[in-house]
Amino acid sequence: MNNTPLLKINNLTVTYPLNSEGSDVLKALDNISLKVNSGQIIGIVGESGAGKSTIGKAILGLLDPPAKLVSGEIRFLGNSLVGLSEAQFESLRGNQIGYIYQNPMTALNPVLTIGEQVTEAIEANTNMRGKNAREYAIQLLERADVSFAEDRLQKYPHQLSGGLCQRIVFAIAIAAKPKLIIADEPTTALDVTVQSSVLQTLIKLSQEEDIAIILITHDIGVVSETCDYVYVLRNGKHIEQGATVQVLEKPMQEYTRSLMASVPLIEKRLHRFALPNEGKMEGISTHLGYLQEDRKEDFSSNKTILKVTNISKTFYTPSTLFKPKEAFKAVRNVSFSVNRGETVGIVGESGSGKSTIGRMILGLEDITEGNVVYKGKDINSITNSEERLAHYLSIQCIFQDPYSSLNPRMTAGENITYGLKIHKLIDPKNAKSLAQDLMVLVGLQRQDADKLPHSFSGGERQRIGIARALGYRPDFIFCDEPTSALDVSVQANLLNLLKDLQEQFSLTLLFVSHDLAVIRQMCDRVIVMKDGEALENGSNENIFEQPKHAYTRSLLDAMPKFQGLAQS
Amino acid sequence: MIDYKKKLVTLSLQIKSIFSGHPIAIAGLIGFVIFVLTALLAPWIAPQNPYDLMVLDIMDGLLPPLSKLGNGTTSWLGTDAVGRDILSAVMYGLRLSLFVAFMATTVGSIIGVFLGLLAAVKGGWVESVIMRAVDLKVSFPGILLALMMLAIFGTGVDKIIYALIIGVWASKARLTRSSALSEMQKEYIDAARISAIPNWRIMLKFLLPNSIAPVLVMIPMSLSGCIGAEATLSFLGVGVPITEPSLGLLIANGNDYLLSGKWWISIFPGVVLVSLVLCINVVADRIREHNNPFLKSMNMQ
Amino acid sequence: MIKYILKRLWHSGILAIVMSLIVFFGLYVVGDPVEMLADDEFTEQDKIELAIELGLDKPLYEQYFTFTGDMLQGDFGTSFVYNRPVLDLIMERLPATLEISLLAMIIGLAIGIPLGIFSGIKNNSRASKIISFFTTVGYSTPNFWQAIILIMVFAVYLQWLPASGRGLTNSMFGIEWAWLSLNGLQHMALPAINLAIYKICMQQRLAKSGTQEILYQEYMTFARAKGISKNRIIRRHLLRNILIPIVTITGLEVGGLIAFSTVTETIFSWPGIGKLLLDSIHMIDRPVVVAYLILITLMFVFINFVVDVMYAFLDPRIRHQK
Repeated sequence: MNNTPLLKINNLTVTYPLNSEGSDVLKALDNISLKVNSGQIIGIVGESGAGKSTIGKAILGLLDPPAKLVSGEIRFLGNSLVGLSEAQFESLRGNQIGYIYQNPMTALNPVLTIGEQVTEAIEANTNMRGKNAREYAIQLLERADVSFAEDRLQKYPHQLSGGLCQRIVFAIAIAAKPKLIIADEPTTALDVTVQSSVLQTLIKLSQEEDIAIILITHDIGVVSETCDYVYVLRNGKHIEQGATVQVLEKPMQEYTRSLMASVPLIEKRLHRFALPNEGKMEGISTHLGYLQEDRKEDFSSNKTILKVTNISKTFYTPSTLFKPKEAFKAVRNVSFSVNRGETVGIVGESGSGKSTIGRMILGLEDITEGNVVYKGKDINSITNSEERLAHYLSIQCIFQDPYSSLNPRMTAGENITYGLKIHKLIDPKNAKSLAQDLMVLVGLQRQDADKLPHSFSGGERQRIGIARALGYRPDFIFCDEPTSALDVSVQANLLNLLKDLQEQFSLTLLFVSHDLAVIRQMCDRVIVMKDGEALENGSNENIFEQPKHAYTRSLLDAMPKFQGLAQS
Repeated sequence: MIDYKKKLVTLSLQIKSIFSGHPIAIAGLIGFVIFVLTALLAPWIAPQNPYDLMVLDIMDGLLPPLSKLGNGTTSWLGTDAVGRDILSAVMYGLRLSLFVAFMATTVGSIIGVFLGLLAAVKGGWVESVIMRAVDLKVSFPGILLALMMLAIFGTGVDKIIYALIIGVWASKARLTRSSALSEMQKEYIDAARISAIPNWRIMLKFLLPNSIAPVLVMIPMSLSGCIGAEATLSFLGVGVPITEPSLGLLIANGNDYLLSGKWWISIFPGVVLVSLVLCINVVADRIREHNNPFLKSMNMQ
Repeated sequence: MIKYILKRLWHSGILAIVMSLIVFFGLYVVGDPVEMLADDEFTEQDKIELAIELGLDKPLYEQYFTFTGDMLQGDFGTSFVYNRPVLDLIMERLPATLEISLLAMIIGLAIGIPLGIFSGIKNNSRASKIISFFTTVGYSTPNFWQAIILIMVFAVYLQWLPASGRGLTNSMFGIEWAWLSLNGLQHMALPAINLAIYKICMQQRLAKSGTQEILYQEYMTFARAKGISKNRIIRRHLLRNILIPIVTITGLEVGGLIAFSTVTETIFSWPGIGKLLLDSIHMIDRPVVVAYLILITLMFVFINFVVDVMYAFLDPRIRHQK
């Protein structure tokens, strides 16, 4: 191992102008330094806005204007990469430094075949042409663990799965045997079982071909499994760096410590995420009483509040002149029950049917077969319209996408209380102060009630959604992957909030997620689903410590193992 | 309960953010405002009422700009064959052109938005019928359709407006429907449904305000399109009646005199027409760019 | 793919039938076909005879079949003014319209698209801003006004090109074409340019916005990251993607050409079907107007079908749609 690092970055600063004069700037990267030796896998980890992707782009001269590299050095094998011309970059890219994108479906051109896109990279960076290039393309695909490599050459990206496309992207990246590959969130867009095997392929390629990798990710688990050395960034600034084990288990900086404390663990279930308390519920007026009314019923936790029996859901595509009616069974014969005060989790990958079950319980989808009994009554059998309304309002939902779950044209306060006003559950005069109280309850500022959703961050919008749900004084809340779209620290805070609220208002939660670690932390009982079927159903300890079904075991194996913070 | 003052403030801030730093767009906006004001105030500020046959004196016909008329006033832009003062004719023509265009665009857009929403929300055969009608209309160029209609049903200001409305509604319906369909996939609609909010409220308070933005962006283009279309139809002689000329008809009238050197009859209305359409298009472009700084819409209709 | 074509064919067929129903309804039920097709000189007796000839005493569905039957055989009635079958009149004048339309389309595509792609790639350059400004002005100027200016400048002032008429023609395949003679070409110039200006402006705007949209797609950045040269990226990645919207819009724009040819032909006294239409409207030669309407409709249905099929060829995602 020689002493010149493969890549060395010194004091790099990249800015975006915030106004047209350029006097006000956002520092996407602020004085960042890092070093990569050949053959190493180093991780750059951080939450959104950390600037991780910007580093990758800056190295290869792919910064989109108006982003500007303001100061600093980037040296590759001793040669400076700053200020190179486009032609000079072209000979560098692909050849010496490869690049892997997060979303393989958008990285590949939809109107060109796979073969065309792979051979293009080969022809641009090596001397191979024509038949040689084609054969080499097949070899590359095989090395990237692409099955039926030769057949795939004729296919178009939209005909292949995400995992397969990402492997093709790997193949393209290693085509010219570069010394360094920049992998920008290479597995984020993939399902968890696919993720682990794709990561293994990446590591294998790195070891076999002696390629250094800069792995950019927000996923601490991925870093703990693959990287030797890691840099932690926050809002463009360098927070900490070091050997992976050191940084992840014994971090020195407070930010890193709270970041690591936010990562949900598989190993054991904690009471709460170890984060500083948010200090809430100050100055709430008597309206809080409104929320605690009507809870006169008995709260012994073994009373069944929801019983789902043999439900199925079939989606039909209508028949046309050219084909008969097609049926897709999203949910097959699922049964379970939920007791008051419990949190039951449904875990599965995308397409497993977990969201559909919730939508059936909420009344957003019809139940094809089976029945759902809530508080002792079948939803479809209630004829009295008042009872029906009360039934609906008692079951609420917290949605997945913070950017689409609020009406963009209504203020936060209006979003929260609109339904309550329509159904005359509250006096319109009190609506605003109730909205404000609810906002404080979920950790927001009461004066923000008049702001529109676009002024809030993702995590804040989710809190508004929670406030909206709470306003109806529900007994049961369906949580549809409420934190999948959030940064890990924001997620931890939100999950802590949910647990606090559950205790305070005796809520029953049905929590859906694809993230096993989150389910481990949140749920008392767990249902594992695949392709519409419930494969296993048991307590939290049983499922995670003694899984019975092979699929459950494979899911657990696929999860990156992160031990969590060492106990100090 | 609508806070008008607050809305006015938000509106002016929005205008400022869209237009500042783009002098051409600002010029277009100012030009457009001037044209509209001229049109509105025409009956009071025009030197003469060119539609009033009693006022016209054929002895004043075909005089070049800055000539003196029989009654002592100066004709700034000259007169046409029957003695109409071109300046007044242009003002009134502007008034008529803008009136026709505004009416057609407004009514057409309202009909289009309503039908588009209906198609998105109802689905089924309602949607099929509406969308097939849209397809039908869209595969025909608007001018031709209008021409046909006017040929068969006769001419007149109201008939032109109807013909133009038919030209305007289809693209709005299609836009609104696709916008509404994508909004309907969003979770805030689900949230409203699980709280048993009635469908009509969902349509009005949730879907409509959030689906209408692309249509609003298109409205200036429709406006300028209608102005151009009406001008063309009038020029061809199937538009407004000759007693109430719009800008297009004025240009047609003057066409015969171009070659004999009496250029002012055609040129002035022409310049005004082109400037008006240009102002609106420049503003429309700016609004579209602002809305989608990186991804400009491909849909030009 | 075959399924897709069949589906579009089916759609087009339905569209054609619906259009014919609408026209039939408009003529025979709402309007009075006798009035439509009767000359001012017809006497009452003539009108009654015409009514019987048109089969107006027969049930409606029979009338519809006669109506379409006649059409499919090419019988569109007889012009009042020229006293000849309408179809003959239209066929005679079609070549003239096709000539200038085709020329205008070629000019429009050849100049507009490259200008547009250039403006899209070099968005912030001065050249691009100037080009865009000119095309905005061009497309804000109504067709007829452009024609007037063209005549004033090139025919009256500079006296380079003639302002009216078709000039001399030569024949090929038994049809008279003006582009086969130099004199004809000179006469074609101004009308074709008039039509082309609008096309150039539209194509430039479309190509520019399409290019910008494509440039920001991730696959463009990824192609650069692969180390592909810029030229190759433009040739391969950009052009292949931008062809899709351009082809579809161009196809639909053929309609615009036919529409605006009405104006252009009138101003330049170019003897095409557009001028025929307008003259017939003014001379109340209704059979011609009706026939024009039907033929144009069928043409658009056909064009839309062709565009749909081409779209499938260009976009593999459509081709593989289940």
